[in-house]
Amino acid sequence: MRPALFGRSRTARLTLVASTVALALSACGGGGGSASDNGKVTLTFLSHYGDEPLKSGISKLIDEWNAAHPDIQVKQQAVSFDDLLTTLNVRQTGGQGADILSSYALWGGQLAANGVLDQPPADVAKDIAENYSPAAAAAVTSGTGQVFGYPTEFNTYVLFYNKKLLADAGYDTPPSDWAQLKEIAEKTTKKDSSGNYQVEGLSLIQGGDNQTAHPFFSLLNSAGGTFLGAGGDSALDDTAKSVMQLEADLAKSGATTTSISPTKTFPSNGVAMAIQASWWIGSLKESMKDGYANVGTAPVPGPNAGEKGSLAYAFFTGVNAKSKHRQQAWEFLTWLNSNKNKEGVTGMGDFLATNGLIPPRKADAAILGAKLQATDPNLKPIYEAAGYAMAESNAANGYKAKTSLHNALNRILVNQAPVDQTFNDLIAEISRK
Amino acid sequence: MTETYAGATRGAPTRPGAGRPRRQGRAGYLFLAPSLLFFTVFLILPSLFAIFLSLSQWGGYDLTQITFIGVRNYGDILNFDSTFLSPILVNTLLFAALSVIPAVAGSLLVAQCIERLRFQGFWRFLYFLPVVATVVAIGNVWKMMYQPSGLINGILNMLHINSIGFLSDPTAALPSVAVVQAWASIGSAVLILTAGIKAIDRTVYEAAEIDGANSWNTFWGITLPLLRPSLLFVFITQCIAGMQSFALIIVMTKDGGPANATNVAAFEMYQQAFRFGAWGTASAMAMVLFVIIFVATLIQLWIGRRAGEDD
Repeated sequence: MRPALFGRSRTARLTLVASTVALALSACGGGGGSASDNGKVTLTFLSHYGDEPLKSGISKLIDEWNAAHPDIQVKQQAVSFDDLLTTLNVRQTGGQGADILSSYALWGGQLAANGVLDQPPADVAKDIAENYSPAAAAAVTSGTGQVFGYPTEFNTYVLFYNKKLLADAGYDTPPSDWAQLKEIAEKTTKKDSSGNYQVEGLSLIQGGDNQTAHPFFSLLNSAGGTFLGAGGDSALDDTAKSVMQLEADLAKSGATTTSISPTKTFPSNGVAMAIQASWWIGSLKESMKDGYANVGTAPVPGPNAGEKGSLAYAFFTGVNAKSKHRQQAWEFLTWLNSNKNKEGVTGMGDFLATNGLIPPRKADAAILGAKLQATDPNLKPIYEAAGYAMAESNAANGYKAKTSLHNALNRILVNQAPVDQTFNDLIAEISRK
Repeated sequence: MTETYAGATRGAPTRPGAGRPRRQGRAGYLFLAPSLLFFTVFLILPSLFAIFLSLSQWGGYDLTQITFIGVRNYGDILNFDSTFLSPILVNTLLFAALSVIPAVAGSLLVAQCIERLRFQGFWRFLYFLPVVATVVAIGNVWKMMYQPSGLINGILNMLHINSIGFLSDPTAALPSVAVVQAWASIGSAVLILTAGIKAIDRTVYEAAEIDGANSWNTFWGITLPLLRPSLLFVFITQCIAGMQSFALIIVMTKDGGPANATNVAAFEMYQQAFRFGAWGTASAMAMVLFVIIFVATLIQLWIGRRAGEDD
């Protein structure tokens, strides 16, 4: 009796432990997010197109595909941009990753290094290399040549300026070199008796993650410098130090500050100049209405007249390496990015341009760009920048290195830390990958 | 005698009711099973996994890609060149101190005042409201008040005081967020301390009054010593919450800035794991923070016990 009881107890204990472990592990295993039923495949598409007008724009394209391809249905899963990387991470680890992923290209190296991204078919990789803007193609290609997916939201950086504020300070044209940039920034800066800014001369931050990094990269490119090498090692040299010095001088004179949000203050004539991404155009038109007539754009000036620079960043849509239906997923993405409408523009190109973004496919940009630039001359420097902009690094440590840069720039802009020491510390921090 | 003893031993299981303790034990374990299973799945297994990860390199996404690397992660984060020791751990301890001390002192003051007021339920409800409100709402309201053109700077300007960059000045940012954390956590501490004050025998106060003690004397001589167990509980729980907190920091400063001035251990762990894909580093940080919180709690308990509240 006693051995039997003991045996049952041991079996019960073993069952309990086994079921506990199985329960815990079940959360970490499993297949992808697709489903297959009688030959009909349903693909899941994780993106950050959760808000209007992006949501309805992409839904329209997906509905069109679904109507024409009853055997391969695509289902949208949208989250906010702030939650996108975390969602990608958690779902993939839990075996619930979507078949098709939309991702910021900066994260591409990290995703590729961890085996999340499927290698695109040769014809897709060739199409991207040949038919997309060089900066857009570079943004979605790793240092080892792996293409992550089709480039989507593509942005370049230019100098936005308030024509009236510059005219009030005696300038009819935007700055053409760093000396003039500094001079105009200082002359347009105004503060009240309590020390509050009435006008900030030059904004060196942008909304979103690591606010100081992108304007710095644009200035760095204008001086001929780069940030990271192909393997993620620091490529910062004396040109980077000279950009840091320029920013330090502007902060010291009070012509720039990190305490003012340009997104909120530029539309109310509280910022004279700002280095911002191209998507800002749509936002300014919306918030400034008639006041938008006062807005001008120009290339980000370099150290000497005639030099210019810009940063280009992109998103991409790729396929999950763990998906059971990778071929169908690439089929859908190829259709989305190459199927042309009556005007000869791809569905994705039309969707991006409608939402104020640059279509990364050269043919789309040629057709839509000319039409859009005719209605808004401010788009001209933005489209031109696609030809010379530095693509944002997508090395596996790219995000971490960019955060280190942001912290270093903040120490210069906010704490007025010495440039030499901050520069050396930054290089050491990036080297500790 | 031996036989009797042996017989009694052999006969024991057959005595009526002798199997009850074992059956009761099994029933007890069965009743405990759901909560034990819960703790195993959601506490013990993740803790063991986190310990293992702290000794490994893992980028997330794929469990088959975990590489054991020994104590290298600990070496990296406990290195003097690492930002984890300074400013991150220093910020964590400062944030805990700057939020816990005002919260405990404030809640003691509020609890003592409420005890003397009418409509005590209403006042307790009022102070408890921030506990019910979401961190996002609280963080955003305070963020607006801290803006250069916000309410607080508006008042300072009216008094001819220059604006303060509450969230943009590295020296002001951490205390500014800690004040909000303290304000938001006063409510729960007030409830516990009010219950503690109510549990104090009224006759002790009456005796003190007869002996001529004033309010100050009764507070120092009676309320504070007899409230020590509640105070110790509030202090320990607030300290743990303060050292683990990061939601308010994310809402108010977004990235632990300016220049890492508000970056704390919990935020850095989140950043390392979910943004940079350095799960091993994040887990090692979690282990270090666990040890710090554990030691800090033991010290507080030891001080509390020395003060005699255990009696």
